[in-house]
Amino acid sequence: MIAGAGVLVLLPLAMGVVAYFLIRWKTLAALCAIATAIVVGVGVLVLPFGQPVDVGGEAQLALGESVSILGRELVLEAGDRIGIAFLFISAAVLFTLAWRFGSQRLLFPVGLGLLSLLTAALLIQPRIYAALLVEIAAVISVLVLQHEGQSPTRGGVRFLAFSLLALPGLLVTHWLLERYAFTPNETALLDTATALWALSFAFLLGVIPFHSWVPAITSDGMPLGGICVRTIWNGAIWFLLLDFLETYPWLSDHPSFGPLLLTIGLVMVIVGGVLAVAQRRLGRLIGYAALIDTGCALMALSMNSKLGVTLVFLSLLVRPLGLILMASGLSGAWARSHDDSLDALQGRGWPAPWSTAAFVVGGLSIAGWPLGAGFVWRWAHLRALASYDPRSTLFPLLAGAAVMIGVWRGVSVLFQRPRTPDGRLEPFSISSEDWLTATIVAGAIVACIFIGLFPQTIGPIATHLAESYTFFVP
Amino acid sequence: MPTLGELLAEVSFLAAMPAVIGVFVTAGILVVSREWRLNVLTLTLQVFFIVLLLTRVIRLEVAAVKGLIGWMICMVIYVTERRASEPLRAAAARETPSPRRRRQILSARASFNLLAALLVSVAAYTAALRIPLPEVPADITLAVYGLVALGLLLIGLSERPMQVGIGVLTFLSGFDLFYVALEPSLAVAALLGALSFSVALVTSYLRTVEVAAIAHGDAQ
Repeated sequence: MIAGAGVLVLLPLAMGVVAYFLIRWKTLAALCAIATAIVVGVGVLVLPFGQPVDVGGEAQLALGESVSILGRELVLEAGDRIGIAFLFISAAVLFTLAWRFGSQRLLFPVGLGLLSLLTAALLIQPRIYAALLVEIAAVISVLVLQHEGQSPTRGGVRFLAFSLLALPGLLVTHWLLERYAFTPNETALLDTATALWALSFAFLLGVIPFHSWVPAITSDGMPLGGICVRTIWNGAIWFLLLDFLETYPWLSDHPSFGPLLLTIGLVMVIVGGVLAVAQRRLGRLIGYAALIDTGCALMALSMNSKLGVTLVFLSLLVRPLGLILMASGLSGAWARSHDDSLDALQGRGWPAPWSTAAFVVGGLSIAGWPLGAGFVWRWAHLRALASYDPRSTLFPLLAGAAVMIGVWRGVSVLFQRPRTPDGRLEPFSISSEDWLTATIVAGAIVACIFIGLFPQTIGPIATHLAESYTFFVP
Repeated sequence: MPTLGELLAEVSFLAAMPAVIGVFVTAGILVVSREWRLNVLTLTLQVFFIVLLLTRVIRLEVAAVKGLIGWMICMVIYVTERRASEPLRAAAARETPSPRRRRQILSARASFNLLAALLVSVAAYTAALRIPLPEVPADITLAVYGLVALGLLLIGLSERPMQVGIGVLTFLSGFDLFYVALEPSLAVAALLGALSFSVALVTSYLRTVEVAAIAHGDAQ
């Protein structure tokens, strides 16, 4: 009997090694990574959980079967399936677009290694090991942020430092809360644990003032590499955060839990909006758009209700598509200018119309405007916020508008026809994007708009995910 | 021939205040110096002092394994810097010679870093007196605060991959010294070792990329 939990961890790891040896042939490495992510992502959803399945010969695969590695249990629970499928399917979309947009070759093997580590982090019992696995994944993901043949990016170095600063807090919080469980009268333990927990996740989520790595990884590094961190690694961080709250309900019962998260979320939304509108680098704009979206998700979590958790999952489900599209669009334009500043990108939209379209639709989605997939969650968020804290409703709206101003400014520059030295307009250049790139981008754009128009396709998944968590105040 | 454990047992008389002073001095040198040979040697010594302190909170064998991981990290950094020195020397030779400057014993950057290291060490000492850590003796608390604070300072003072990497490793060593007392599990020790080793590998990769860019004239 083959244990499903073991396959979920070892298959991407093994295929990551294969992809590494195929790295010289980018298409093969990419197809290997895409196929693995799709097979695991779809397999974990469609295979029956309770009964074994024949996988050839006499071998049988039991998805729900746990496995022990070095004395630690890897346990796949029914509620984890959608979360893991989300990570793998997001990665498949990312790998597909990265294949067409000339990103770092290491993205494919390292991305698969990242998926293996993050899956192990979500499955391992006890949870203390999850923090260590997530940190190892963070360190390894620095490799995908680096441009080939260029100086080390500030984003990668900052991300390395900030993500590791979170480790002591996560591990010590676990120890403090274990002690608090035996001595509930010692409330100082809970206060310290809450403070450490908040500080650690502030580092991991890039909460202001620990946010300097967020815009840097998408601007200084490879845009799609930065988005790999911001969607796949960050998605796992959200699951880890919710698992912490579920395992230690005292954290969400703490009187400062709701107000603290609401304040942090509001600050992220306001500061992110102000900085997004002032950006002259499109990579940084993507980073600040992601920061605003994370701030909105923290505001949703501050509601400490089932609705709030459902909104968090809705944000997690739709955010990758918008960010991946935006980063793909920027990568397409970046490939022609090797710079993400507005001055360097002037007129780069003409030879890359599909990249520009991806940037616009991704921007619409991440700003939470109608038609984009992000509208589904931001609209629901605004409606929930209106009844929870009406005063704060205006800020996410304004921040979304700020992101759209940045996107609009970017598009106007991308389509500004550059002038020759003697002042005449340069002739139009023909699109240099091949049909396969155009088809893949068109498919991703259609998927993004489809989710925006038919939210009922994704809403029940978020509700189902939220049902696994019971930590909130009923 | 004596085993590593026996060797560590023979120098166990150092495993108190002398080791704490050694930790502070080595971390201070790492903050001030940019000379890679001195830094690798200092890091090797720092691992030795940390292992001595670890022997008081965990089993000798586990401390020795942690020491081996630390020294392997030093080896990785040494090999990286050794290979980097050749293209850097060639790139420096290509540059037009700058006008002769008076040679200083301590540069302005190094003097600033020294002052910052002294201030941070005083802050770490005060913190160790005011906020004692649970489950560890007072002198180890002081070493933990010193390593964490000076590691953070090293991270904050530079954006060069090697300096940040060594800063992160110093920070992690300080935390490890404290955390082994709370959670003596071998699996946690192994994962913390794997984490430190992956930091060293990524740092070396970034340093190699940096040197390649300098050699091609893209940087500096």
